[in-house]
Parts: sequence; structure tokens; C-alpha cells
Amino acid sequence: MNWKDKTVLVTGATGFIGGRICERLVQAGNTRVRALVHTVQHAARIARLPIELCPGNLLDAASLRSAMGDAKIVIHCGLGSGRGIARGTENLLRQAQAVGVERFIHMSTAAVYGFTPPPGSETEDAPLRLTGDAYCDNKLRAERVVRRFRGGGVPAVILRPSIVYGPCSAWSTRLIPDLQEGRVVLIDGGRGACNTTYVDNLVDAIFLSLENDKSVGQTFFITDGERLTWGDFIQSHVAMLGEKMTLPVVSKEEILAYYRQQPGLIAGSIKATGRALRSKELRQILQQIPATERVLSGMWGWLGSLPEERREKIRGRVGVPRRSPDPTTNGRYMPDEVTLATQTGTVFFQIDKAKRILGYTPRIPFARGIQLVEQWLRFANYL
Amino acid sequence: MTDPIRLAILGCGTIARTSHLPAVLVHPDVRLAALVDSDLKRAQSLLPGTPEGCVAVTYYRPLFGQLDAIINTLPNSLHAPVTLEALRAGVHVLCEKPLATTAADARVCAETAEQKNRVLAVGMNRRFVASHPLLRLVLREGLLGPVQDYEWQYGGAFAWKSASGFYFSRALAGGGALIDFGVHMLDSLIDWFGPVSEFDYQDDNLGSGIEANALLDVKHAGPYGEIQGHLRVSRTYTLKNSLLVRGAAATAEIPATDPDVVILHRTIQGQAVSETLRLPDYPATSSFYKQLDNFVESIRGRQKPEADGRRALEVIGLIEDCYRQARRIPEPWFEPLPELAKAGA
Repeated sequence: MNWKDKTVLVTGATGFIGGRICERLVQAGNTRVRALVHTVQHAARIARLPIELCPGNLLDAASLRSAMGDAKIVIHCGLGSGRGIARGTENLLRQAQAVGVERFIHMSTAAVYGFTPPPGSETEDAPLRLTGDAYCDNKLRAERVVRRFRGGGVPAVILRPSIVYGPCSAWSTRLIPDLQEGRVVLIDGGRGACNTTYVDNLVDAIFLSLENDKSVGQTFFITDGERLTWGDFIQSHVAMLGEKMTLPVVSKEEILAYYRQQPGLIAGSIKATGRALRSKELRQILQQIPATERVLSGMWGWLGSLPEERREKIRGRVGVPRRSPDPTTNGRYMPDEVTLATQTGTVFFQIDKAKRILGYTPRIPFARGIQLVEQWLRFANYL
Repeated sequence: MTDPIRLAILGCGTIARTSHLPAVLVHPDVRLAALVDSDLKRAQSLLPGTPEGCVAVTYYRPLFGQLDAIINTLPNSLHAPVTLEALRAGVHVLCEKPLATTAADARVCAETAEQKNRVLAVGMNRRFVASHPLLRLVLREGLLGPVQDYEWQYGGAFAWKSASGFYFSRALAGGGALIDFGVHMLDSLIDWFGPVSEFDYQDDNLGSGIEANALLDVKHAGPYGEIQGHLRVSRTYTLKNSLLVRGAAATAEIPATDPDVVILHRTIQGQAVSETLRLPDYPATSSFYKQLDNFVESIRGRQKPEADGRRALEVIGLIEDCYRQARRIPEPWFEPLPELAKAGA
């Protein structure tokens, strides 16, 4: 398919992957790019491009209708949260079906197999099952929605990248300050499988999925095709800091034992909710929803009206964040459950199918990709 | 006793709501007569707390005969045309920055204000943050010795909750990071160091005209001789957010953590020392209140606007030249793009 002359709608365009897709589309000569923008103030990166910013929301069908315009191609990187991930995907597919798009690229994730994919999930035909993790399960549900619409005639392709890194990626922008502040440990010595996917390799795969009609109806793992460990990924960032740094090693068993000492489900959940509500990022997200904004502002107002003593009591009950490593861990930071799960997998996803059908070749190897990341981190003031 | 100045706020977006309106409501010599916005509900939402008789309306022109002054906080592209209309109708104007999106428009505004003998003040509110006059004092007093150069970085993830979203439209905003925040920095720098005689400008606009990052090297030819400076502005990256002015005897810093102070760094007998300078008598009111007060006092003929149309013209002219001569910031962190391999067998 000749995709360079067709109108392309990109969802999730203000994010790391969506932003790079928009840049690459423009650089490839496409002059008809439309970007679905959920939060306008996050659009600084893509506002540099001669593309159309379309305010909208995956949960608002009218805004999707308007954003779709005359799009013939949809690249869906938008996320949403919770059940909204699948619902938003369904809303978008419905609009795509209505206008008869010629290609729908669904950005899924290898995490549909869970953050610790079970042995046997190396290839795309491995059976899928719900894992109990909300993100993984909702991305899996979104894939199921795509398959349903594929049956209904939407020419969709599902791509499952894994650890997508590159300039602007949060993997690096979080890891650098975490390293500087001593919050990184090597779980099991850093032996876990790290299926890196350099962002431009992923965009290459997207473009190949547009060019090649044999992609329709298929699902592909997309990675760099290298057998790197989390130790490799983390140590490559340590090297950027130019300091001699020995990272603590913690075993999975020690971490699990630490978790067992933590408050039970209900108490732990209340504390975690309190911590989450204090995070600036979550509050900003919640404040965009009129109903939650009202509830939250009422809640903060109520809290503010209480005497300091009572406020202190409530703060204690919902869990004041730990300012230093827990003394029971010998000064080591204990990773959260998602980090533990992500960094203890053993599966290396195979990209043979993408190579065979799409002609995909990971153009940028990790050794080069991480050099590019370092250059960007220096410019962006992280190093 | 003179009657308070009858004033309307044109544009009821975020800057009006959070900064101008609170200043207007507490100023003793100003009476808010109207809130104007094309979105009537937005204008009405600001009515609570306003004086009796203040109206919310969608159109400004019929008001001019009943007003002494306006604050123009409309999207950038409407700054110059609406300011001009007001000045021609004999109304004083405090216009949000940038005064215009082109030097030609800024010039017409400045000249019209002079011809009509009306006050045109431009919302360079940073002038009223304590560190601005404080650094001016430090320089005039010669505390740095001969001034050599400066570096100023300002940036972070863009978070301004614009009601209309005009910021990301070239037609409405006139540009990106440079015209949005760089305008403040250039205004301050020209005030401190004199006119810019040479510059070299780069940004990362990829065809929309809305840069997220800008790098500007300048030379000033002013009261302290030739001074070189480097500015960096970003809407995507958290920068150092401080100004360092290096002199032969000391370095002055306006730190990110406190815009009301100037820190002097120097060496005494080989020992590095720092001292924090403040203006203890500087009023604790907001910079927007001080800016409004300067506007009011200018209308009363007791002061002159800190930043008037002519100064705004100088800054807009420089920004326009920067955009015209812009080079792309190199992005070596992206590999040259490939000719994609032909699809597989």
C-alpha cells in the first residue's frame, strides 16, 4: 500500500512512541498526519511538526469521528486506563470501520503474556490468558477487540513490542535519576531477559506493516532481536554516568520475603492509594475528569479544614511515603511488583515472523541505540 | 478625588483568571467594568467576586466608550489588532506579551499609542519580580566588576492549561518557546545589558513554526560594553532554570529556587563565598499587581510603563529576526532515515 499520500490518524501521539511515529511520518514525506491529542499541554513535541492536532478522547466517540476525518490509516498507540484501554480501542475501531480505513495498526505489547511471560510464549501463536495484572489483561482485552473487528472487515495488524527505548523514553529518563539516587538494584544479578526494542526499529516495523498487504490479519512480536539482560540495560546507563558504581544485588526470594512482611491486601491497598493520590502525575490526570476533579478538590478542601493533629493522623493511616530504604533491607531499595515481574522473565520473544512476512530487520542494534540515547540524555539535561 | 479607572479584561483564559483578575480586584484605583470572552460561560464564570455592575459579555467594541482602560489577554494573534482598536478609541491598554506576532504590528501599536497619547504597557511581568531590579542595581553598582558573559536557561515540560489551546497554532501564537517565554528573557536582558547587536539562533521547529526548544547566542552593545550571552528555552526538558552573569570580580546568580534574590558568588583570599541579596522593602504583592499598579500610575501620569510599546517592538523585532534566520538544532540522536527494505517474500 502506498501510505505516504494517505491521511494517517495517530492516537497516543503526545506519547513517546506516538510522537516519534508522527516525526517519522512527516520525515517520510507524509503531509496528511492527524494526531489525536487528549491533553493539549502535552503536545509540545508534536506541535513542532506540520500536522493537525485533533483534540479528543478515545472514550468520546464524537471526538473520534471528528479526528478520523478522511483518514485511511490509523496507528493506534493511545492507551487510556483500566477497562478504558479496550473500550477506547473498540470506539476507535468502530469509527475506523465506519469510514472504511485501509489499515489499522494496533500497538499492543508483549506484556499481553504478563510482565513475566511464561516459557513457551516466545512466538506469536502461544496461547494467551489473563494474568491478573490490570495493564496486561486490559491490553489483552484490547487485542481481542481488534481480532473481533478484524473479523468484521477492519484490515488490522497487531504489533507487540516489548521494552521500547530510545530518545525521550521513560525507561531511560527514570533510570538515570534512580541510579543517581541509589534506587536501583540488580534483581538476581540482572539475569532477567530484557527484550529491547529501539523506537526507530518499531517505527520501521509499522511502516513495513503499512507497505506490505500480507501484514493484515497478523500479529507480530517486534524487538531488536538481541538476547540482552536487564543487567546489560541498566549497566549501559551506569556507564553514561561516568562514575564507578556497584549496584546492590537482591534475589527474587529476598524481595518476595520483603513483600510478605508488608501490610496485607486491604491495609496495603489503602496505603498505596494514599501514596498514589499524593503523586502529582496521578492528580493531574484525575483532575482532567470533571467528576473526580470535583471529588478530589472537595477532599483536599475537607482535609485542609481539619485541625493539623487530625490531618497528621489521617496521613499516618494512608501511609506516609518512606523517605529512606526500609531498615529491614540492609539499605537496599526494594523494587515494586511490576519491576520485579518485568526484570525476572526468561523469555526472549522471537521476531522470525516479522522478518519473514514484513521483511523486518532491526536496523539499530542495542549498542548503537544506547549511544543515541546517551547523546539525547545529554542534550535533554539528564546527564 | 479622582474616579477609579474603569477597566475591562478582554479574554478570560488562564492568565486572566489566575493572575490579572486577582490583581484588578484588589487594586484601589481600578474598577472592573466588564469581562469579555467569546465564550460567554467562561466570562460569566469569573463574575463572582467582581464589583456590582461588572458585566460578562462576548464582544468588546461597544464597551470602549465606557472604559478608560483594558487588559488584553486574548490569544497572541489578537493582541495587536484589538490593542490598536482600543488605542484608536482612546482607551489605555495593558497588553499581555507578546504585544504582536510581527514587528510591523508592534510598531503600529507603539506609534499609535504615542500619536493618541494613550498608555500602552506590555505584560512583561518579570520586570516586577524582585530579582529584576535587584540585578539592575548589582550591575549599576559594579559589584561584578567588568561584566563578561551570561547564561540563562529556562525550561520544563509544558504545563500551561490554556483555555483555548492557541499555544500550538502558529497562526494564533506566532511561534513557540521563544515568543512565549523567551520574550520575557530578552526583555530583561535588553533592559540590563542594552540592545542586541549580533545573534545566532537555532530551534527545533520541524515545519509548524512552533518550536519546543530554542538556543540563542547574543552579543549586547550597551552600558557595560560588549557582552556575550547564551539563552536556552525549552517546553520539553527541565533545564537549570537559572541565570548566571559572570563578571571579573564576581558572578551573579538568579536561582531557580527563589526568583526574588540575587546570589553573589566570589572569591575572598582564595575562599569561595556566596551572599544572598534581597530587597527587603520590596512589596510582597504579586508581579501582576505591581505591573497593574505601574499601568495605573502611568495613566495617572505619575510613572512611565516599565515595558512600553517601543521596548516590546525591540524584542519582537529580534524574535522575528531569529525566526527568519533560524537554523535547525541538530538531532544527532536519531540515525539518518533508511530507505525501508522492500517487504518480504
